[in-house]
This record gives sequence, C-alpha cells and structure tokens, in this order.
Amino acid sequence: MEKRESLWDRCLKQGISRRNFIKSCVTLTSLMGLSTECLTKVVEAAEAKPLPVVIWIHGHECTGCDESFIRSASPLAGDLVLSQIDLEYDHLLSAACGEPFERHLDETIQKYKGQYILAVEGAVSTKDNGIFCMSGGHTFTHLLQKAAKDAAAIIAYGTCAVAGGIQAASPNPTGSSGISMFTGGAPVINVPGCPPIPEVMTGVVMHVALFGTPPPLDGNGRPKQFYGNRIHDTCYRRPFFDAGLFAENYDDAGAKAGWCLYKLGCRGPETYNSCGNLRWYQGMSYPIQSGAACIGCSNPHFWDEGSFSDRLPKYDKIGDADKIGIGLGVLTTAGVAAHAVASVVQKSKRDIEEVENGGAGE
Amino acid sequence: MKEVKRKEYYLFSPFLRIFHWIMVAMIVILFVTGLLIAKPVQVMTPEPTYTLTSMDLVRDIHFVAAFIFCASFILRIYGFIINKGDRLFPRVWEGHFYEETVDVALHYMLIKPHHASFLRNPLARCSYAALYALVLVEVLTGFAMYYMNDPNSTGAFLFGWVNTVLGGEMMTHLIHHYVAWGIILFAIGHVYMVIRAEFMEGESEVSSMFAGSKILAHTPKDANELE
Repeated sequence: MEKRESLWDRCLKQGISRRNFIKSCVTLTSLMGLSTECLTKVVEAAEAKPLPVVIWIHGHECTGCDESFIRSASPLAGDLVLSQIDLEYDHLLSAACGEPFERHLDETIQKYKGQYILAVEGAVSTKDNGIFCMSGGHTFTHLLQKAAKDAAAIIAYGTCAVAGGIQAASPNPTGSSGISMFTGGAPVINVPGCPPIPEVMTGVVMHVALFGTPPPLDGNGRPKQFYGNRIHDTCYRRPFFDAGLFAENYDDAGAKAGWCLYKLGCRGPETYNSCGNLRWYQGMSYPIQSGAACIGCSNPHFWDEGSFSDRLPKYDKIGDADKIGIGLGVLTTAGVAAHAVASVVQKSKRDIEEVENGGAGE
Repeated sequence: MKEVKRKEYYLFSPFLRIFHWIMVAMIVILFVTGLLIAKPVQVMTPEPTYTLTSMDLVRDIHFVAAFIFCASFILRIYGFIINKGDRLFPRVWEGHFYEETVDVALHYMLIKPHHASFLRNPLARCSYAALYALVLVEVLTGFAMYYMNDPNSTGAFLFGWVNTVLGGEMMTHLIHHYVAWGIILFAIGHVYMVIRAEFMEGESEVSSMFAGSKILAHTPKDANELE
C-alpha cells in the first residue's frame, strides 16, 4: 500500500506555511472542545496520522444535513472535504455516478478494511424489505450493512440516522428507524439535529480523524462537548425566563422585546445541543435568537411530541392536560359528593328497615 | 346517654403522622408551583424591570419542597421499621386479602350494606400502594429533569436513564405533569373516603392521623396484625 498523506504533508504540498498549519490546529483544538494543553497532541496527530478515509452514505432523508455541512466555516467545508479528510465516496458531493462509482465503493471498502470512517445520513427503511430507500440497485439497508461491517467508526449524522427522523414520525409508513440496529460492532457516534450544526459535524469527523477514536460520548452516544448542555441552560434569553418575562404571541410586545419563548412551546428546556453557545453560521444566530421557539430537532422523537408552539399538547377540542385535569377534578368531586349523598340515603333507609324488622335486618 | 365500651388500638407512630402531614403540605406546594412552572403567570407592571413574577423563585420553591418531601421518607421508613401499625402495604400474599378487597369494593359500590371492619382496609392499602407508585414516578421524572442540567453529575448518572427509557426529555416533562394530576385526583378520593369512614362507619380514620390511635367500639378483623 502506498504511503498515505497526513494533514501536514498535504499542507506542504499546497504551500501552506507552518504558521498557518499551527493556526488551523489551534482552531481545530478549540472546536473539538479540547483544552489548549491538547494542542501539541493535535499537532502531532496532524503531522503523523494519514488522512482518514471517509465513506459518506445517504439513506432515507432530505440531505439537509449536507446543506448544513457545506456551510461549515471553521474548518471550511471545502478544506475539510478536499484536504483534511480523504473522502472516497459520497452520494451527494461526488461528481461520478453509475457502475464505476459503485465499484469504487467496493474497492475502497476492500482497500481500507477496518480503517475508514463511515458517515451516515438518513434513516433506515425497514418495511417491505426496505424497498422505500434504494441505492445502487440494492436497498439502503444492504449498503449500510456492507459498509458498516469493516468501518473503524461510524458517525450517524442527523436525527434521521440517529432515531429515524421525520420519516419515522407517526404513523411511520416506511418503518424507518435509526441506523444503530444495522451497524454491527463498530462504535457509533450519534450527532443528532435536523440538521446538526455545521461546525459540530466537521468537529466530530476531525476528532475521529486525528485521534482515531470517538470523542467522549454521553449515555445516548452523543459527543459530550457538543451535546452536554441544554439549549435552555445556555440560552441568552434565560434571564427573561428566570424573571418571568415571556412572549405570549409571536407578534406581541414581549416577542418584540426579545423575551423568553417558553410559553410559545420552546423546546430549549428539553433539548441538548450547542445552539446556545456555538450558534449557527460563524456564531451569527440560532432559532431562538431570530425569534422562533426551539423545536427540539436533536431530540429523537421531536415530530411526535405535540405541537411545536404549545408547552402542553392539546387534545383536540378538549384542551390540554390542565383543562382535562380540572375537568376530572370537578368530576371526581361531584362523584364523591353524589356517593356521599347515596351512602347517607342508603344508610338511613336501612336503619329504618332495621328498626321496623326489630333489629333482624340484613 | 348511652354507654359504649371502646378499645384503643395504637396504630400510627409519630414518624408516620409527621411524614403524612409533611407530604400533604409538600404535595400542595409542589402541585401549585408545578402548574405555575408549566404555565407561568405574568403580572405586568408598567416597567418590566420591576416585574412581580419570578420564575426563578417559583422553581426554587418547587425544588426545595421536592427535597423536603424526599427527605421526609426517612421518617416513613423509620416508622415502618419500628412500628407494625405503620406497615400499610397490601398483603397480596395472603389469600383472604382478595376476597376482603372485593368485599370492601362492593360496599363502596353501594351494593353491600356493610363490610367487615379493618384497622387499615385492604382497598385503602391498595390505593396507598398506587399513590406511592405515582410519587415514585414523580420523584424519578423530577430528578431526571433536575439533574440533567449537568449530564456529567452524579445525579444525572442516577436518574438520567429515565429520559432515555421514556423516549426523550419532553416525555419526562409531560408524564411528570400528568401524574401530578393523578395524585390530586387520589387526594380528592382519599379525603372523601376517610371522612366517610370517620362519620358513617365510626372508624376514626381522620382522628388517628392526628392522635395515632383508633378508639373503636367494634373489633376490627385485622387487629391481630399489630401483635
């Protein structure tokens, strides 16, 4: 096998100065959520580690994750794809197509057995033998299993790959689910979001590329550095929440003043993501900052968890849980009152009968 | 004037009684603050800086009440250990438990005029077990939400799995809210039942939760359980 280039080799080839190389390593270090002490490790890895081979496949999805990915600024998505990873196969970004393209996939899997990173976007469709999602003449399930078998690590990009996403929303006609049931033994890194933040996508793949291991993961398999906080706990509107200042409507004075969107069904208190601190597109904004309540897109079943604009789900015309609760409370109270009356009436009737029968009642 | 011979049965230790009344107070506080957290009330003043509402304070009261409620279970458990009268679990391993439960249930359905007298009747025991189950759900879901503001903490390690089991943290919120209503419905039924037993059946259900003893004219069926 020919010697594979490292990031530093690639920099030398492109005439990038040592200074700029170190600079990009600094950026990478902070982006991956590592402390500055780890900079030397990152530099060493970037000098010595061959560029990681990445196979990027797309299943049942809208490719919105890629739309997000190509807007990554640091590292620039173009730099990442062209010079920081060795992207051998990608359904969306490849110019090639057809039979040679599919053959290249088989060759890549053969050549880099147990070394390549498999990035997966999109859900697995399981109903009717998976015919709802086909790729290269086979079902996506087939492709996924083939590629996952020899992968060093698997990255599940987007809520679809993690938990099924929109096509898994009730009633889930295609039987869609997350990829984890079909990946075999390789470690899976879950990067949920609809889509995930661009820098999170690049940060995760760079971590695996440089260190050869998945980043520290939480109980749901998500990288801790990006999914370790609730949006609510990192939200710049949190002080308004604590002070009890809420927007009641999207067009009221509270919304205009930038108050907390909690009452409009904001899912910030239930959602783990970096929107609050990293934000989107070079820290420009994120949904709450632009005045829209968070919909909790990095939660596994966020499509099915009630209306996005209600704190408590409403049940048709009956109303939400509080209305139902009050109704049941009134009914229960009326019920026990009726029971009390009935008990008293029954008792007094029986007492009279007992007296009439000379105490020989019952 | 009628002379009645009554016997005193010492039933509830002070630990259980104090626990009971702490529970009552805390459930009221937790329920009211909980509703306010789910649907905050805004009292607007001309200048928002001086708003009279504080979500922070309401949440803090909710959390403190929750911790007091959990801590009060120490009393409950201690009473359970030292006093037989505090042991209120339904005796499902005893055959006669089932027919007695049916008997009491038929009485409450107004079908049977009388039921056998119990110090702690089997239907009530079932309802307490159900209440504890509801409280357990509230404790688990509550701490799961509370501690997950730092997923690396010990509390998150102990309770974080609840969110995963329920299929997401939003579900934890909803279940916590719905079960709270269940506890209130239990409370309505419970208050009615004890008052009914006190005044219609001479069971001193209300007074025993203050005094600890039941002073009864009749001999309850489960009196031997205290020995």
